[in-house]
Amino acid sequence: MAKDPLAEAGLHFDDLNKLRVLDPEVSQKTTELKDECKDFVDKIGQFQKIVGGLIELVDELAKEAETEKLKAIGARNLLKSVAKQREAQQMQLQALISEKKMQLERYRIEHEALSKVEAEQNEFIDQFILQK
Amino acid sequence: MIGVLFNNGTHKELVSSVGWTTADELYSCSEDHQIFKWNLLTNESTLAVKLPDEIYPIDLHWFPKTVGGKKQGLAEIFVLTSTDGKFHLASKTGRIEKSVEAHRGAVMAGRWNYDGTALITAGEDGQIKIWSKSGMLRSTLAQQASPVYSVTWGPDSDRILYTSGKQLVIKPLQPSAKVLQWKAHDGVILKVDWNSVNDLILSGGEDCKYKVWDSYGRLLYSSSSHDYPITSVAWAPDGELFAVGSFNTLRLCDKTGWSYALEKPNTGSVFSMAWSADGTQLAGACGNGQVIFAHVVEQRWEWKSFEVTLTKRRTMQVRNVLNDAVDMVEFRDRVIKASLSHGHLVVTTSLQCYVYSTKNWNTPLIFDLKEGSVSLILQAERHFLLVDGAGVYVYSYEGRLVSTPKFPGMRTDILNTQTVSLSNDTIAIRDKTDEKVIFLFEALTGKALGDGKPLTHKMEVVEIALDQCGAGSDRKIALIDKNRDLYLTSVRRLSREEKTNKIGTMVHTMAWNDSANILCGIQDVQFTVWYYPNAVFVDRDLLPKTLFVKDASEFSRTPNILNYVGTQVTVRRADGSLVYSTVSPYPALLHEYTGSARWDDALRLCRFAKDQTLWACLAAMAMANRELTTAEVAYAAIGEVDKVQYINSIKDLPSKESSLAHMLLFSGHVQEAESTLLQAGLIYQAIQVHINLYNWDRALELAVKHKTHVDTVLAYRDKFLQDFSKKETNKRFLQYSEGVEVDWGKIQAKIEMELAKERERSAAVSVRSSVASRR
Repeated sequence: MAKDPLAEAGLHFDDLNKLRVLDPEVSQKTTELKDECKDFVDKIGQFQKIVGGLIELVDELAKEAETEKLKAIGARNLLKSVAKQREAQQMQLQALISEKKMQLERYRIEHEALSKVEAEQNEFIDQFILQK
Repeated sequence: MIGVLFNNGTHKELVSSVGWTTADELYSCSEDHQIFKWNLLTNESTLAVKLPDEIYPIDLHWFPKTVGGKKQGLAEIFVLTSTDGKFHLASKTGRIEKSVEAHRGAVMAGRWNYDGTALITAGEDGQIKIWSKSGMLRSTLAQQASPVYSVTWGPDSDRILYTSGKQLVIKPLQPSAKVLQWKAHDGVILKVDWNSVNDLILSGGEDCKYKVWDSYGRLLYSSSSHDYPITSVAWAPDGELFAVGSFNTLRLCDKTGWSYALEKPNTGSVFSMAWSADGTQLAGACGNGQVIFAHVVEQRWEWKSFEVTLTKRRTMQVRNVLNDAVDMVEFRDRVIKASLSHGHLVVTTSLQCYVYSTKNWNTPLIFDLKEGSVSLILQAERHFLLVDGAGVYVYSYEGRLVSTPKFPGMRTDILNTQTVSLSNDTIAIRDKTDEKVIFLFEALTGKALGDGKPLTHKMEVVEIALDQCGAGSDRKIALIDKNRDLYLTSVRRLSREEKTNKIGTMVHTMAWNDSANILCGIQDVQFTVWYYPNAVFVDRDLLPKTLFVKDASEFSRTPNILNYVGTQVTVRRADGSLVYSTVSPYPALLHEYTGSARWDDALRLCRFAKDQTLWACLAAMAMANRELTTAEVAYAAIGEVDKVQYINSIKDLPSKESSLAHMLLFSGHVQEAESTLLQAGLIYQAIQVHINLYNWDRALELAVKHKTHVDTVLAYRDKFLQDFSKKETNKRFLQYSEGVEVDWGKIQAKIEMELAKERERSAAVSVRSSVASRR
């Protein structure tokens, strides 16, 4: 087929026999490309959204991990201080115990003295009875 | 022993000091620039003063309430010291009346003296300054390179005690007087206190110890090392207890140092403490902004089978250990003082006095008190004595005011059991301004005894005690002086100058028995009982034989005899434990028999007990009562043959007067014997007494004075000189011997005549008396 002189002039007819400046084929391809591009942009957008969500999530996680970490440190310190508190408490109790021990010792001495008095009195009574 | 009442965090910063106004109202100052007022009755706290922001208060001290026993109207101001070098005088309403620039750096302490005439401040700059009541500088008393952390007045406000690093310094206000300074702690001393009743010093420091000193700087007690520095110490007003504050620690101790109780409140360091004037409540200023209140509970009194415990502030539990009966006794107000003895419990609250008989715990006798704060209760068998800020009162157990003894310059706030003694008929009070002087009063009238002159000893007296039994005319007082010598003397001195006899040395502590005049004491390392201390007036040589001596090692170092009831002596050891010791019951029985003149029973008792000490007591008792037959037997039992013989010779004497005189001679009272004879007109006998004693001068004097028997004296003198082949050197004898001729025959005849005369006279008297008795 000879070259379409119209085509050479840069004019074309489309399927609907309308006169076109652009080759319908090219036009069609362009349209296709345009559509594809649009698709692509959409998909990229979607991807970005997903990734954004992911990042947010990860950030949140990181934050949570941080607070947990702090909590753990706090708990560890608390544990340490509890040990110290215990020590202080122990010291206090120890002091109270030694106080009570001293009191006990005093009572022991008092008891001893009283027992001695009792023995002396019994001895006296025995003697008294014997002499009579 | 100590109950922590409540504590409350109203202050935002640490509380630096506290001070009581009444028994139920307290002021506290804090670094949050606030001064709070606490009412203990309603448990409320109100803001009293909001200080300017630049004032950080350190110390707070109320102007003394009572001055020399008199209540003062204008006691409504307090001194507040602060970190900016000033002190402020503020009123009760919170108005700052005056601010005075006092020191460079902080003013660490500000204290009024006891009569409120002077204020002392101690600064970080090492200076101590004295100010007038209105805040005018009087003088700078001391100056040193290191800060003064604490300062306090001596008991008479004539000396001060302050800290100088690790040292304590006592400085009299008089510039020429000697300063006493000693190293007291191994760390910086933070707080000191000086009690006016017992004159003891208390110190606490960064070496984590608290120590008790006497006013001469001798160490009486040193505590073991605590975990934290001692930040505060405070004497209770009556000087029986003190409190110690440290980090999270509150301790209550006896004046001898041992600890009654320990509390571990969660308060941080207790920086300052104050006792209420009645000595029942304690407030502490704490590091975490709390003010802690504590009160003394679980106090105990024991007498015979009764045991009284203060369980709550207003409740007492009475237990009879014989049948385990328990009675609860309730009071309307807080219990301030109590005493249990002689079958009665006497309790004083802030308004009233309750008297219970041990036979009946349900119906006490109640009467109102003039002034609330009773500081001392003493009991005797028939009545008891109350001491408050204004005076001394004797009440009967029926609640009747018997008497109110007084002497000029009496300060009742410093009286304690060592300086006051009560018996059924007599009260003895040692003077404070001159410690050698003891004032004696008739208990029933409150008047001074005898001619009103007080008893003056040659040394400062530290402890006095009246015996509790027998007739009032025989009342004796035992006293321990500064040298720790024990003396016994008669309270009612009948015209003649009676001697004060020493009966013991190195006596730390003593007590009379409640039912017989038996004295016990701890002499050096021996526990000694004077079964019959009066023996010293009758027959001095006999006294050592009437003692019961026992090793006192079981009482350890510096024990204190609490009481001697029945046959039981209760002793408090230095470590606080109670130790009991029994004394034989025979001497008390013997006292009872001889007291009621049952000499046969007394003799039987001595024969039964077979105890030399008891025989010696009986000998002395019989001699004291001029019961010659018993005395003869008793002296024979202890092998004192010479005395038996003398007693026999007394028995043979023709007249009553001369036997009385010879009994006085027996006890060594030559002068009384002489005057007895002279009064009876037995001049020759009086002269003979002196001749026998080789008391030549007096014999001659009597002979010359009465113009009789001069030759007798000269003859005996001559004989004496010949026996010892000496020459006459006495001028008077030389003078008289010139004119008198010595003729033994004549002298003998004269003596015979005198004796016959005496015999005749006594016969006549006895006839007359027998005639009189027949009528």
